[in-house]
Amino acid sequence: MILIFSELMTTGLLQGLILGIVALGVTIPFRFLNLPDLTCDGAYPLGGALCTSLIISGVNPFLATLLASVAGGVLGMGTAFVHLRFKINTLLAGIILTAMTYSVNLRMMGKPNLALFGNVTLFSNFQDEILFKIFVLSFINIVIIGLLLRYCLSEKGLRFRAVGLNHEFSKKQGIHLSLYIFLGLFVGNALCSFAGCLMVQIQEYVDIGMGTGIVIHALAAVMIGESIMGSQTIQRQIIAPLIGAILYQQIQGFAISLGLPPSDLKFITGAIVLFAICYTLPKKPFARKRCLSETTSLSSQDKYFFDKPRPFSSKETEHE
Amino acid sequence: MLELHNIYKSFSERSRPVLNGVNLKLEKEEFCVLIGDNGSGKSTLIKSISGEHFPDSGLITLNGQNITYLPIHKRAKLISTVSQDINKGTVQSMTLFENLSLSYLRNKNASYACYQKHKEQLTEKIECLGLKNYIDMPMSTLSGGQQQIIATIMATLSTPALLLLDEHCSALDPKASENLMKYTTKIIERLSITTLMITHNLNDAIRYGNRLIKMQDGKIVLDVKGNDKKNLTAQQLYDLFNNDKGRHNDSDLF
Repeated sequence: MILIFSELMTTGLLQGLILGIVALGVTIPFRFLNLPDLTCDGAYPLGGALCTSLIISGVNPFLATLLASVAGGVLGMGTAFVHLRFKINTLLAGIILTAMTYSVNLRMMGKPNLALFGNVTLFSNFQDEILFKIFVLSFINIVIIGLLLRYCLSEKGLRFRAVGLNHEFSKKQGIHLSLYIFLGLFVGNALCSFAGCLMVQIQEYVDIGMGTGIVIHALAAVMIGESIMGSQTIQRQIIAPLIGAILYQQIQGFAISLGLPPSDLKFITGAIVLFAICYTLPKKPFARKRCLSETTSLSSQDKYFFDKPRPFSSKETEHE
Repeated sequence: MLELHNIYKSFSERSRPVLNGVNLKLEKEEFCVLIGDNGSGKSTLIKSISGEHFPDSGLITLNGQNITYLPIHKRAKLISTVSQDINKGTVQSMTLFENLSLSYLRNKNASYACYQKHKEQLTEKIECLGLKNYIDMPMSTLSGGQQQIIATIMATLSTPALLLLDEHCSALDPKASENLMKYTTKIIERLSITTLMITHNLNDAIRYGNRLIKMQDGKIVLDVKGNDKKNLTAQQLYDLFNNDKGRHNDSDLF
């Protein structure tokens, strides 16, 4: 069993690194903009299908990946448009656009599955070197996380975060809400689509059913990541999806290595994910207790703080 | 400065209009106090000016610019509001510094530069309040009074052309409310901002501001300026409030 698991670990890591990008793409609308978005379910296969079609028709794989990623982003902007213009809930808008994308994908591919064997892809020279692929994907992940982190620490990023936290407030601070919602959904879905491009080029084929329910896997990864990393700071919030995605894939690998029939896999995976999320729950009451004791000790030891002349004194009345 | 011409606003066709032909002209650097019973249309008026509601008809101009239907985020560059609801004035889960930075950027273009660069400058602003140690703490760790003072500072950080105060003291205890009122007046005088303030506290209405208007049934029924406002006593104002037989004119009072 351990032997199988260790064999699956590298594949799991590779898939985890791809799921990490999707999970980050889901986190942006879900956590930063506070708009749960399911368009990712359409953007991921759209990226795969478009990228494959372009490569087969002889387009440079770099250009194909770029174009397909942008196409995914535009799909996200479509959801944003439907949501903002027609006041349709983002979840519903996402589902509608995802359903429509399915037909578009099939039209582009011509048949339900296409193989990329023999075509020049990003990874065609290193098809057997899994460690190299892991290295490249880790690098891509680090670059994306780094860029996003830098953005979030900029003035524009601060506004972006404020939009998700408080719409009313943001409007009153002169922030153009729609602009940031468009941007957030574009980037989020472009990342999902980009992950789709990488996936088809690594596995060298695309299937029309690829990525069905990927948003669920991505959300599970986000939850696991957050329960481990926490989401108090912006840094933790951005790194959490990747950590969660890698762990989630390892959990799946572990479930496979238990030797159960494949039909049981989903049940076991679900159970393990539930366990991983719930495992952190008992910590919360402890954490709260600690916080309470900290505040009480603060108010008693911090006497000098209240003795100092203060311009207003509502703090005391609150403690009474 | 701010001019309102024949503002009408109703929320349903069957009920009478909440704003029933309001005409108002605020001069530059005027500190106008707006009083009136609940349902008299005070808040609706303020919200029409701040852009939360659009009036059904009428014209609102600020410094000669027609702002009647200007979207709220564009109006924010000219007008800032402090309301009773602290959630509208601050982001509770962001730190004090992040909140201040957002307000500091209100009438500026946000860049890709790190927002940490404003830290020194913004820390200075709250140093006199003794809140320097709280600068990196979430807003929710501050008390209601402290938060409301921060919200007021934030509203005036990038000096607005017009400041709207919508009962911004009413959720506080009397002492904190007095402190906030004093502090607000100090800022307004220092930056000489034109202000329109709603209050239910008649003592505040007497003590602060250089103009007082009263609304009733969606109309302005009383307008006291200059020396008349200075000489106005609390008793006169109380009598006015208790006597609710229809409309009042300036002549009722003087």
